[in-house]
Amino acid sequence: MTPKSAPSPWRDPVALLAAPAVLYLLVIYAFPLLWLFMKSLTGPTGFTLQPYVSFLGDPFNWRVVGNTLRVAAWVTVVCFLIGYPAAFALARAGAVLQIVMLVAIILPLSVGAVVKAFAWQIVLRRDGIVSQILVGLGFWDEPQRLLFTETGLVLGAANIFLPFMILPIYSVVKLIDPRLSEAGATLGATPLYRFAHVTLPLTLPGIVSGVAFVFSMSVSMFVIPSLLIGDRFQTLSTLTGRSFLLMRNEQLGSTTAVILLVLAVAIVVGSTWLARRIGGSTT
Amino acid sequence: MTSDSFLDVAGAEKAFGGVTVLGGVDLRVAAGEFISLLGPSGCGKTTLLRIIAGLLAADRGSIRLDGEEIGARPPHRRDVGVVFQNYALFPHLTVAENIAFGLKARKHPAGEIGPTVRRFLSLVHLTDFADRSVRALSGGQQQRVAVARALAVKPKLLLLDEPFSALDRKLRENMQIELRRLLRELGITAVFVTHDQDEALTMSDRIAVMNRGAIEQLAEPATIYRSPATAFVLEFVGLSSRISGTVVGQDYEHVVVDTAYGQLRAPGSFVPGASVVLAVRPERIKVNAPGDYALVARLRDAVFQGSKVQLHFEARDGDHLMVETADLSDGLPAPGTEMRLGWAVADTLIYPAS
Repeated sequence: MTPKSAPSPWRDPVALLAAPAVLYLLVIYAFPLLWLFMKSLTGPTGFTLQPYVSFLGDPFNWRVVGNTLRVAAWVTVVCFLIGYPAAFALARAGAVLQIVMLVAIILPLSVGAVVKAFAWQIVLRRDGIVSQILVGLGFWDEPQRLLFTETGLVLGAANIFLPFMILPIYSVVKLIDPRLSEAGATLGATPLYRFAHVTLPLTLPGIVSGVAFVFSMSVSMFVIPSLLIGDRFQTLSTLTGRSFLLMRNEQLGSTTAVILLVLAVAIVVGSTWLARRIGGSTT
Repeated sequence: MTSDSFLDVAGAEKAFGGVTVLGGVDLRVAAGEFISLLGPSGCGKTTLLRIIAGLLAADRGSIRLDGEEIGARPPHRRDVGVVFQNYALFPHLTVAENIAFGLKARKHPAGEIGPTVRRFLSLVHLTDFADRSVRALSGGQQQRVAVARALAVKPKLLLLDEPFSALDRKLRENMQIELRRLLRELGITAVFVTHDQDEALTMSDRIAVMNRGAIEQLAEPATIYRSPATAFVLEFVGLSSRISGTVVGQDYEHVVVDTAYGQLRAPGSFVPGASVVLAVRPERIKVNAPGDYALVARLRDAVFQGSKVQLHFEARDGDHLMVETADLSDGLPAPGTEMRLGWAVADTLIYPAS
């Protein structure tokens, strides 16, 4: 630590480089959000909390909140279970293989979520490949439809968000000295102990950003649930969309949007804080 | 298999992609001994170290430690500690936590861990740094944490992979002496990998000079220096004057060699007609003093090195004439000065020309 305090942004011209970004976010993001927030708090007679009270008073809406969080949590878990080992394979692969794998992970991002969701519709059908494989392997007695089920939604969404789990973890794993695990071994630590006490704490920053990315994207996804599960299953973001687009109910839409935002931010910030506490002095 | 060898490596072989890195190496180390593996990069010394630690599997060969075959065991069940070249300290842990790591992993009782950690902290003079992050330490301090961490679990054998290479010279010399004292106090058997001959000569009970995946000579430092077994050992360890020539005959126990500076002799026996290299350590050559030989050479360069002066003389292509001397009462001689060089036949080394 140097005793020198951080230079004032007014004296350090480098800070001014952030000005376009700040301006852009203010105009395009912060002001509309503020408008949304105000809208949800404004009734015919001025300030009101009525929209929130009536929203939370309806058990249907609690199911919507539950759907939203449950699906987002499952998508995050699936992405983590697949993405964490994949990030290691990627980081420890040879130079050529690493480039091939990176291209395979990044290139699909250029295909929009709509296209991918339509592709998953085909994959998840009763006669789709997933069903055929599970029947072929003897897990299922007869073909079943995964499309328009929660499992199908989680599978499809996890596929689409997987790169956002792999890439942050990969970038952290790449920086970890493989000798650290060897040092642990020569000190008498079993592979499991080394993983729990060396690898996991050191990859925690990558896990935290991967989880934050995937969770916040899947808690707010709109197109993917619309195509893979349909209207019977509502989440906060599909409900927000319906309120604005179909029901023309700006106040309900604003309310659900604000609730979604508060929940997502609280969970991401809270889990990050928790992970850092558990991870000890990891920075 | 001798009973007093604590570590016994027999016929260790390793090849990477068809290239032999280690070609059937044998190494026996007695309990409490400090052995250096000395050689240029790529000689296989680090490969041998990693095989002993279990971080690399040998293609062939056996490793016995304290009477047990450990060649097939994973590294965490070998009881072999390693101090890595870059120290490999756990960056997310404090100094004390790094030292405690192995004790916790081996499930030592919690009441024992604290005192052990404190003892090793004080052994390496880092008591005041216990709760610091290892990232806040200097290179020398990090090195001491690495040593303390490896020793705290009381390994049967300690392996050190060039642990001083990142330190500056003054610090390195202090650390060498300190580490040697610490290991002697604790009675630790150690194998030390280095490419630095001074380090090996200073610290070792015995030195194994390695070249191209084989041990060329395994002996005490003085023997390695005074009677190098091969031309490689001669060149790798210490400096020497070298004169090439052809064997012309045998005179009792001396070989007679025809050189550009006349006929010279060396102890040993060679077939007449063989191309050989004669060598003498530079401090064995006397300037302008009586000796068995009196070879006159013209000074090319005099290098002042504090406690001694190096004199380089003009020599034939491929030959090399240099002298190290401490007593030059008349000051540094000017280049171009003709000087008489003399040495004893007994100090002359002879090797087949490569």
